[in-house]
Amino acid sequence: MKTIWFHLMPYPELPDDFTSEHRSVWVDIDPGLFDPRVGHRMYNEYIDELEFAASVGFDGVGINEHHSNAYGLMPSPNLIAATLARTCPDAALVVLGDSVALYNPPIRVAEEFAMLDCISGGRLVAGFPVGTPMDTLYAYGNNPATLRERYHEGLELILKAWTADDVFSFNGKYSKLRYVNCWPRPVQQPHPPVWIPGGGSIDTWEWCARSGYSYLYLSYFGYKAAMKTMQGFWKCVEEAGRPANPFQAGFAQFFGVADSEAEAIELYREPAEYFFNRCLHVYPGFADPPGYKTLATVRNGAEGMVERAAREASERAEQAAKKAERKAAQQSFSAASHMSFEQMVEKGYVIVGNPDQVAEKTIEMAKQLRIGHVMSLCHFGNMSRDLAMHNTELMATKVLPQIRHLWDDEWEDHWWPTPLPAADRMVPSPRPTVSR
Amino acid sequence: MIDQVQWKAGSLEIWREGDGPTVGYLHGMVCAPGRQPFVPELAGRGFRVVAPSLPGYSRTSPSADIRNIHDWVFALSEIIDVAGLAGAPMVASSTGAMLALELAAVRPEAFSSLVLVAPLGLWREDRPVADPFSTTLSGQRALLTKDPAATALFFEDSASGDLLVDATIQRYTARTATASLVWPIPEFGLAERIHRVSCPVTLVWGSDDQIIDPSYADVFVSQVRDVRGRHVVNGAGHLAEWDDPRAVASLAAAAIA
Repeated sequence: MKTIWFHLMPYPELPDDFTSEHRSVWVDIDPGLFDPRVGHRMYNEYIDELEFAASVGFDGVGINEHHSNAYGLMPSPNLIAATLARTCPDAALVVLGDSVALYNPPIRVAEEFAMLDCISGGRLVAGFPVGTPMDTLYAYGNNPATLRERYHEGLELILKAWTADDVFSFNGKYSKLRYVNCWPRPVQQPHPPVWIPGGGSIDTWEWCARSGYSYLYLSYFGYKAAMKTMQGFWKCVEEAGRPANPFQAGFAQFFGVADSEAEAIELYREPAEYFFNRCLHVYPGFADPPGYKTLATVRNGAEGMVERAAREASERAEQAAKKAERKAAQQSFSAASHMSFEQMVEKGYVIVGNPDQVAEKTIEMAKQLRIGHVMSLCHFGNMSRDLAMHNTELMATKVLPQIRHLWDDEWEDHWWPTPLPAADRMVPSPRPTVSR
Repeated sequence: MIDQVQWKAGSLEIWREGDGPTVGYLHGMVCAPGRQPFVPELAGRGFRVVAPSLPGYSRTSPSADIRNIHDWVFALSEIIDVAGLAGAPMVASSTGAMLALELAAVRPEAFSSLVLVAPLGLWREDRPVADPFSTTLSGQRALLTKDPAATALFFEDSASGDLLVDATIQRYTARTATASLVWPIPEFGLAERIHRVSCPVTLVWGSDDQIIDPSYADVFVSQVRDVRGRHVVNGAGHLAEWDDPRAVASLAAAAIA
């Protein structure tokens, strides 16, 4: 099993009264809350943490893209990845990823990813999320009715740009390019491994299963709540007639490791409560714009609602609908607000404990979800750099050795980068000393 | 009577009600053929009301070809031909009114006259049009009419089982169609074309419109060539013909006559 040290880069100084005085951490968060001096410190510390994770033995470092968002301060993950490509010489660069529909034309993604693959010597994982409604529709103004079509067309363009032998014309509905000619080209051939981060869209499961892409479920709500989604994905893999290779799937999980469980609870309580109670304070009105979900997903939800209504025959359909709306709201980002740390641990949002406990729960999680890639969040909320590095070191030195073996004797990871041989890979050259 | 007519790759739903001179009704952000009180109210005043459902609404198929305002206007142009509404008077509401104006700007003979209920299509920096989709479903419902109960036919379900699933899908598809029209800002350059609208226009606005401020009527009056009337329906919201079908039908009937 591969473990990727994943960073969201949350803003660490949201005020204590944030949830009562502000309606959302995303889209319309008060720009006055951002202090560029904090930003300067934060970005540099976060890059330190990613570099440290790579140096202590994580298989990869992971980053993603968000906009107008205080818990995810990477509008451009490629900028961070370019830094890491130079300073993390062996780890995979897992960019999860570039939201294709937000790039106009999307050939820009093909170019920048190819640059990253060249700089890193073939260590890029190319992630292509549709993107959340907050990012794509509200912050970037994409139309929900055409977002997914635009996304799929953009991805088709990118893959073709990486693999075509000749310059070609691309006459799409959204991108019309007379000359497509991606320079540079990626080191990995035919192209870097494609990972698709997603939520619970049935169409995405089917598409990943059919196309052979790796599916990443980036939930913040723990492995216990992820079972239904991952079962849905694996059912699609089975129906597509493909082997149930765990490396075709991944999951994001928060971790807090310490010498004892009691110490872990003490150390990680505040940053977890900061993240779940402040950073996920998203106005529910941004969560479900019409057109964002596919009709198959809407139908699935409606059928589930009908089944529930049938079970509760005395309940009127309208009441069932309202109940479903309430339940959906409870499952939304803001639902975690006002939850205690004990509840977060109990629900599996955060795996905490001593290294043996964390390893045991991680293996249980990986087996239950059948995943070969763990996106481990060892920094969360307002965690200090020192604590993040402590957590990271314990995870790398005492947990990873206990979990790394999982799946390796049964399955091959076809979704991991295939870099140039180490001897052929460039490393930053030492700077010559210049006398002044 | 509600017909399904073959149109493009799917079908077009057309509701016809009453006898007399033909007048069209083009719905706004919500649509409930056969049940919406405004159509019989207008028909009862001596008209044959023809009310097509736009692509994605009710039982008119959504069209994958519709990606931008140009596609929408072209679709409406075809629909009024298919529905026999070309050259007839048209009562149009909200997003439908925006589309009717856009079509009248490129095809001035499309309508003999227009009664527009709170048309979208223009933009004032000092009074931006509200975003009906930065809210929950119940929040959106509260924005559209003064009395949220007025749109119960669209937002609530009386069906069960498979019919409830169908109704949920239909509502989602309709809301998606509206989103495709107004997202992110319902302004596509109409101000540069509106001078070409040559038919007589009557403006109707709900006094409590929370989507587009009634003062937008001033802008339309200043930009549309032949505004014959301007009316406010007290106690009505954005979809005034849902809040007060009788008052809007009376105003429309008088304007058409």
